[in-house]
Amino acid sequence: MKKALSLVLALAMVLSLTACGGKEDGKTTTAAQNEGTTAAAQDEGTTAAPQGETAAGGETEAAGGAKAGVMPAIAKEDLKIGVIHITDPAEGSGYTYTHDQGIVGMQENLGLSDDQIVRKNNVDDSNATEIETAIQECLEEGCNVIFATSWGFMDTCEALADEYPEVIFSHGTGYKSNGVNFNNYFGRIYQARYLSGIAAGLKTESNKIGYVAAMGKDNSEVTGGCDAFAMGVYSVNPDAQIYVRVTNSWFDPEGETQAANALLDLGCDVIGQHCDTPNPQLAAEAAGVWGVGYNSDMSKDAPKAALTSVVWDWSVYYTYAVESIMNGTWTGENYFAGLKEGLVDIAPLADFCAEGTEEKISEAKEKILSGEWDVFSGLIETNEGEVVCEEGQTLDDATITGGINWYFKNIVAE
Amino acid sequence: MPHSTERKSADRTSVLAAGALSGKDAIACRGITKRFGTVVANDHIDLTVRYGEVLALLGENGSGKTTLMNMLSGIYHPDEGVILVDGQEAVINSPVDAMNMGIGMIYQHFRLVDVFSAMENIVLGTKEKRLRDKELKEKISEICQSFGLEIQPEKRVYEMSVSEKQTVEILKVLYRGTRILILDEPTAVLTPQETQKLFQILRKMKEQGCAIIIITHKLHEVLEISDRVTILRKGKSIDTVETAGTDEKILTELMVGKAVSLEIDRPPVNHKSPILKVVNLTVKKPDGTKAIDNISFEIRKGEILGVAGVAGSGQKELCEAIAGLMKIDKGAILYEQENIIGKTPAEIIRMGISMSFVPEDRLGMGLVASMDMVENMMLKSYGNGRGPFVDRKPARELANRLVEKLGIVTPGIDTPVRLLSGGNVQKVLLGREIESCPNLLITAYPVRGLDINSSYTIYDLLNEQKKKDVAVIFIGEDLDVLLELSDVIMVLCHGKITGFLDARKASKEQVGLYMTGAFSQEVAQ
Amino acid sequence: MNRNANIDSRKRTEPLLRVVKRAELTGRQIVLLRLLAVLLALAAGGLFILCLGYNPVAIYTRILSGATRSPMAIQATAKIVIPLLITSLGVTLAFKMRFWNIGAEGQIIMGAIFASYFALFHADWNHWVLLGAMALAGILGGALWGLVPAFFKARYGTNETLFTLMLNYIALYLISWLQDGPWRDPGSQGFGKIARFDKNASLNKVFGVHCGWIVALVLVAAVFIYLRYTKQGYEISVVGESQETARYAGMNVRKILLRTMALSGGICGLGGMIQAAGADITLTMGVAGGVGFTAIIVAWLSQLNPVIILAVSSLFGILEKGSSVVQSDFGLSTDCADVLQGIILFFILGCEFFIRYRFVGRGHGEKAK
Repeated sequence: MKKALSLVLALAMVLSLTACGGKEDGKTTTAAQNEGTTAAAQDEGTTAAPQGETAAGGETEAAGGAKAGVMPAIAKEDLKIGVIHITDPAEGSGYTYTHDQGIVGMQENLGLSDDQIVRKNNVDDSNATEIETAIQECLEEGCNVIFATSWGFMDTCEALADEYPEVIFSHGTGYKSNGVNFNNYFGRIYQARYLSGIAAGLKTESNKIGYVAAMGKDNSEVTGGCDAFAMGVYSVNPDAQIYVRVTNSWFDPEGETQAANALLDLGCDVIGQHCDTPNPQLAAEAAGVWGVGYNSDMSKDAPKAALTSVVWDWSVYYTYAVESIMNGTWTGENYFAGLKEGLVDIAPLADFCAEGTEEKISEAKEKILSGEWDVFSGLIETNEGEVVCEEGQTLDDATITGGINWYFKNIVAE
Repeated sequence: MPHSTERKSADRTSVLAAGALSGKDAIACRGITKRFGTVVANDHIDLTVRYGEVLALLGENGSGKTTLMNMLSGIYHPDEGVILVDGQEAVINSPVDAMNMGIGMIYQHFRLVDVFSAMENIVLGTKEKRLRDKELKEKISEICQSFGLEIQPEKRVYEMSVSEKQTVEILKVLYRGTRILILDEPTAVLTPQETQKLFQILRKMKEQGCAIIIITHKLHEVLEISDRVTILRKGKSIDTVETAGTDEKILTELMVGKAVSLEIDRPPVNHKSPILKVVNLTVKKPDGTKAIDNISFEIRKGEILGVAGVAGSGQKELCEAIAGLMKIDKGAILYEQENIIGKTPAEIIRMGISMSFVPEDRLGMGLVASMDMVENMMLKSYGNGRGPFVDRKPARELANRLVEKLGIVTPGIDTPVRLLSGGNVQKVLLGREIESCPNLLITAYPVRGLDINSSYTIYDLLNEQKKKDVAVIFIGEDLDVLLELSDVIMVLCHGKITGFLDARKASKEQVGLYMTGAFSQEVAQ
Repeated sequence: MNRNANIDSRKRTEPLLRVVKRAELTGRQIVLLRLLAVLLALAAGGLFILCLGYNPVAIYTRILSGATRSPMAIQATAKIVIPLLITSLGVTLAFKMRFWNIGAEGQIIMGAIFASYFALFHADWNHWVLLGAMALAGILGGALWGLVPAFFKARYGTNETLFTLMLNYIALYLISWLQDGPWRDPGSQGFGKIARFDKNASLNKVFGVHCGWIVALVLVAAVFIYLRYTKQGYEISVVGESQETARYAGMNVRKILLRTMALSGGICGLGGMIQAAGADITLTMGVAGGVGFTAIIVAWLSQLNPVIILAVSSLFGILEKGSSVVQSDFGLSTDCADVLQGIILFFILGCEFFIRYRFVGRGHGEKAK
């Protein structure tokens, strides 16, 4: 009897361990999901009436602070910032790492001390109680600003913003906001993708470019990003075609490698990606060809393959947001910035990029920065022959974030 | 170990040559002590067995016989003391060690593979290269001849009778070159006739120079087979005597520690009408074989019906069938003219039928080991009274009453029954059943493993019930007791009734013959 | 000759350590031994912390203070304890019957799902009627999930350990399907999640914590009384000890099996409802979050005694809450807290072995002579 008991206990322990393991996985997956859903989030934000302006508004404010703040200013020395991460920044690359680098950058820019930042790592975004506990712990330690970096934290932030009206909650990649002490932030990553497409289009020799996509055609963020990339390719190399492989997961190291290998087998010699791990770049490197990384600078992971990477610099937002809180100019509006603000960019080009890449990219970047042209402007034809944007038109932000479910004409998808 | 094969055959010849060793010490134990928790199972035991003799190890249950033998066969390790094998100090860590030293043990429960033949079982686990069947058969028959064993090497174990299985066990250890044979209660499962056969084999082995230790608590067997007797009592070795110079009375006194009367009272039966009638009852085991095969009998008020039979002849199934715990295949059980088949166990309990079966592990299904006496008292009556709550008061009173009346030794009625000794556990069980004032008391092996004094207390309790006109079905192992206690003896063999005997007139040999199924009477109904 | 050589070689083979059964220890000795185990666990954990380069005393102190330093901290700790406590009570009923209910996780989830139906689609009902319906639905959901393996065990003798374990995953994927399919939050832009409950469908707070804590405390008393003083509780103990004995005593084992598992699952299901409506205010895949497994450990560590379960689950809550504070204060990864928990469990469970057995070294037995 006792033996059986101890067996069961051991079993129970094993089980609980496995359960923990499972949870871990869940976290990472959702971490990736958050990125994905950003687009959706944005959609809501931009369609909302006060929001239409936000994209632009963000810029104007950054420039002049025309709007009046809705929250009292907080003195720099009184600031205490809580950061809720879905995984651990110690991972050294990927989503959480990039966000945390943003926090670190903000801290340096503004000269905040270490004890003014409270981090909560590995907060399971599917466990509402855990999120609430984590945020409340920050509040307990005196935080008056909370940055919640993951999509799944949104509802809890909303509820707590209600409960603690004196605290500012800023939530990454969601869609809800209350216009006072709870907002959302995300960015125009498609602009950077367009630029990276230029590098890819110029480099390819086989005129076949692979793209590992986390989600299928109906996911606007992924598909829009892929289109922007393809349009970048098209602008310099109209003959090249983009082959897309979908992993149906935000985070699937194995599947990403497999997808990349399948694309390489098709003869692709540049691999772009919208997924979490550097595995597609590693696969390209192993095959002796090239690629374009995402999230962080993947030349770290695949120095012989990564032409460049599409990267985020969240410190731009965090600095802007905290500054506005200190100035008393916090508006509680959503934030949607791009290349111009430096929120998104491409990593420095590798020296093995094709001749003339730098010039072509600068040219395009100039056009975007000057505001005379954006990626989804002018005649856009899908690979099914449909025209989704006429000459002279520009897709609005709502469409960009939520309505792109078509592939650009040079994309081949099975 | 490269020479182990060689050694084994060397040993086998040494069995035959052991005659030369005759009279020398085979095993000598000096001050062996073994504790299980606070229980001292063996307390500085000394024992010597010589080649060419049969040593009986006599003692009541719980006196430490089996523990001692388990240390010789390498299952336990003594806490203190030395074991000398052939005059050399030996450390026996496992049964394999024991076997290598020439010590073989025959357990009460056979360790055979049912689907294998005798031959396959005999060589099972030996390390030497498997011989061709023909050679093997020759070898086995050689051993058989020298010891007077009879066996069919091809026969599968599941087709064998108990005594055949025992023969295979003996062959198994002989084949491995055993010179020192230990038998743990070998006669418990045998009929008197089979016992005689076994004893002949043991005598042959003795002549060949083997040392034999036979564990038993049956005095007449000790007197019949052994040369010397070592008596254990409460874990201590009390004395070693020459069998020739002793008798049952002296041995009993040594074993129990005081003089005991071995008489059992037998009051007459006053009633004529049966309280329970079993008609053409057939019960099948889960595997579809018949556990009880078309039996009919009846029992009167105030009568003790003894049920004799080799273990596993259907006793358990009979108990459970009457108690409503088994599915009845055919037949009827009439209790006070009413057929109780199909009634739930709870309904049967309420009708006044009490069943207590003491299985080999003693606690079995009658008691809940981890519960205290009070909770065990309520086992059948917990549902009494209204409301969702259990009323512990009557149970507590009953427990106190039993402790006093039956002299149950316990630290308190709140002590889990598993911590009580076997005798006290059985008193708790039987006491509860009797206190429920049954009209029919079925009791199986109530004295199993009890010391002599406790056994007599139980017999007295049963007789007391008999005087109160309770019908008692008494399923027993010891034929002497059955003959002295019962009014009628019903003999079961393979689930069939082979005979009804008047216990006042029958002899043990008669009962033994019925038990083997060697003859059976027409069931006089 | 040959034989002598062998005996000599045998002499050397006495095992280095032997396991020997101990005398029954007195209650006091057992308590002391467990206390020793806890101390050893803390010491070993401290060593681990030291290896990571932190001060163990500071960490332990912070764990304790982090979980209790302010009303807010205590409230957060309570929120962790509530589901663990309720679930431990639930599995205790099954374990008392020696029914290895490894499926509390699934029963919690089913309770939460059933309750969520009313929270999502009948949020307009009267608050108390709605909460009542949700509680009943939660109990029903958990009970159903407990009954399924019990039924198969009673009828076909299936192994309940595996069965309940498998049902966990079915329940989990049921949520996954609901949040991606029929119950998807219409406002979530196509992302798979279930909407946050209406305020009307969430539990009221008492002293800053959702009122689930009152339910949990009531359950502690109820389960204690049920197991110790009722006829059904007595039946559970007997069935747990031996089904044969239970049948012999005239009990309807099958009925007891089903009834107890329904209760066990029902309590876990109620826990799920409380977690969803009290703490999460929505239904997520993390509603059970491993509590169903931790509860097994809590139940056994507490020797299936509801009052001790209250204490042990509180300790687990403190450890979890405290280590989350330690993580942010010291930058110690939460994984380290898990390792710490593992070390403590290892020692405490290991001490159960030493309560019954002890080791004897080679040659020690002879010397004792």
